Amino acid sequence: MVVLNKKAFKLPFMDREKFLLLMRLGLNYDRATGTFSVANYNNIGKLTDTLAVILSVDEVTFTQTCCICGKDFPCSECRYLKLCATKNLPFQCVCVECLREGRTFTNSG
Amino acid sequence: MREDLLWVEKYRPKRIMDIVGNEEAKTAFVNWFKNAHRTKKAVLLYGPPGVGKTTLVNAAANEFSFRVIEMNASDTRSEKAITRVAGPAVAFAALDTFSTESKGNVLFMDEVDGIAGNEDRGGVSTILRIIEDSRVPVIMAANDPDIEKLRPLKKVSALIRFYQVRIPMIISLLQEICHREGIKAEFEALERIAENSRGDVRSAINDLQSLGETTKTLTLQDTVALSARNRDVSMDETLRRFFSVKSLQDASMLLSYSNVDYDDLLMSIGDNLPLRFTNPEDLAAAYNFVSRADMYRGRIGVENWHLLRYFFNSLAEAAAVSPESYQPFTLISPPIRVITLFWTKGKRTALDSICAKIGQRCHVSRATAKTDFLPFIKILLARNKADDVVSWLELLPEEAEFISKMNRL
Repeated sequence: MVVLNKKAFKLPFMDREKFLLLMRLGLNYDRATGTFSVANYNNIGKLTDTLAVILSVDEVTFTQTCCICGKDFPCSECRYLKLCATKNLPFQCVCVECLREGRTFTNSG
Repeated sequence: MREDLLWVEKYRPKRIMDIVGNEEAKTAFVNWFKNAHRTKKAVLLYGPPGVGKTTLVNAAANEFSFRVIEMNASDTRSEKAITRVAGPAVAFAALDTFSTESKGNVLFMDEVDGIAGNEDRGGVSTILRIIEDSRVPVIMAANDPDIEKLRPLKKVSALIRFYQVRIPMIISLLQEICHREGIKAEFEALERIAENSRGDVRSAINDLQSLGETTKTLTLQDTVALSARNRDVSMDETLRRFFSVKSLQDASMLLSYSNVDYDDLLMSIGDNLPLRFTNPEDLAAAYNFVSRADMYRGRIGVENWHLLRYFFNSLAEAAAVSPESYQPFTLISPPIRVITLFWTKGKRTALDSICAKIGQRCHVSRATAKTDFLPFIKILLARNKADDVVSWLELLPEEAEFISKMNRL
C-alpha cells in the first residue's frame, strides 16, 4: 500500500491520456512544483485505482488530516484500519496521539 | 434519577463546524447553500443513518438565518400533502427576504427514499415540480439513493455523499461527552461502543447514555450487554423474556437491547397479552400501556427516534403490570395478523386478479372495483342474472364461483 499526501505528491512520467484521465478524475497539477493534489473528491475510488495502476502497486490511499491537532498522518498507523469502511474519504480523522491522550474536539490543548 | 433529555438532543451540534466527520460533504453542502446562483436548485444528501445529514441542514439553516420547513417520512407525502406544506414555503419566499431575522425558507424533505406506496402517490412528481418552480433552496436526504423511484430527483439535484463516521472520531466525541457529563470511562469501553455503532454517531451516543447515565464510571465490563445486542435474538426469545420480567427496569433493559422489528414486537405483545394476564384488570391495564406504546410508535415513524424511549417505557410498563402472576405459557408467534395474512394470501391474490379485470374493463381502480362493482356482481350471480356481465368482464367460471362464495367483500 502506498500512502500519498493529498496536498502535494509526485508521480512518474506518464503519457497524455493518463494525465488527462487523472485531471478528469479530480487531480490538480501544479506546474511550478511539478506536484499533483486532490481537487475533487467525487471520483475518489476510480482515482485511487488509476493511481495504483500508474504506480504499479496494489493499493493507494491518501494521508488523513487530524481534525483535532491538524497533523497529516497515514492510515497505516491506525489500529482500526481493518474495521474502517471508509478508507479513502473523508480526509479527516483523529490521529493516534490525540486519541491516546484523550484530546477532544473542544479541548484540543 | 434518570435525566429526561436524550444526549443525542443535548449534544446535537448547533454549528456546522461542530458536526463530527464528513468534512468534504459539509464543505460541498455549504458551498451549494451559500451560492445564490446555484446551477441546481435542489440538493440530495445521501448516506447511512446517524452520520449528520439532518443535523447539517438544521445547523446550516441556523447559521445562515434560514427557516427550515421540514417534511419527513412520518408525514404522508402525497401530491396534496406536499403541495400544502411546500406551496406556502415557496410562495412566501419573497416576503421573507425583507425580514432581518430570516433570510427566507429552506424546504427540507428528509428520508425521500421512504416515499412509496399508495399514500405517497404522486409524491416524487410533485417534488420535481416544486424544485422547478421553487425560489427557495430545496434539500432532500436519503439513506439509499439507488432506488429506482429517486432517479428523476437525482437528475435535477446536486448529489452529496455522506460516509460512515470513523471509529477514532466517534471515540473522541464520546470522550468529550463523558468529560462534560463527569463520567470516568475506560478507553476500551468507549472503543467497544464506537466499534459497535458501525459508524452511526447517534446510536453510539444512545449506547453511551444507556450505559453511563446511572453511573459515573464506565468500564469495559459494562459494555458486555452491547455485544449481546449484536446477537440476533429471535422474536420468540425476546417475548419469552419480556413476559417473565420481574421489574420495570428489567423490561426496559431487555427492550433497549433487543434487535427485533418494533412493529412485529408490538403486534406480538398485543396478541400474547391475554395468555400472559388472566386477571381482566391486569389485562386491561397492560393493554392500556400497549395502546400508548402503539401511539408512540406511530409518532416515531422513521424519523422521530427520540420518542423511542417512551415507546419502550410504555411496553415495559405493560410487562410489569403484575410480575408476581407470571405462569409459563405457550407463545403465539408470529403475531395473529401476520398469520392471517399468510393464510389468506391465496384468496387475496384471486380477489386482486378479479378486481384488476373489472378495473380494466370499466376504467376504474382496483379499489373502486372492489367496493363499488363487486357487491353488485355478487347479487347478480345470486339471482342467476350475471351471465352477460361475467362474459363481458371475461371472468373465468372459477372466478365467478369465487365471487358468489365470498362471505365478505
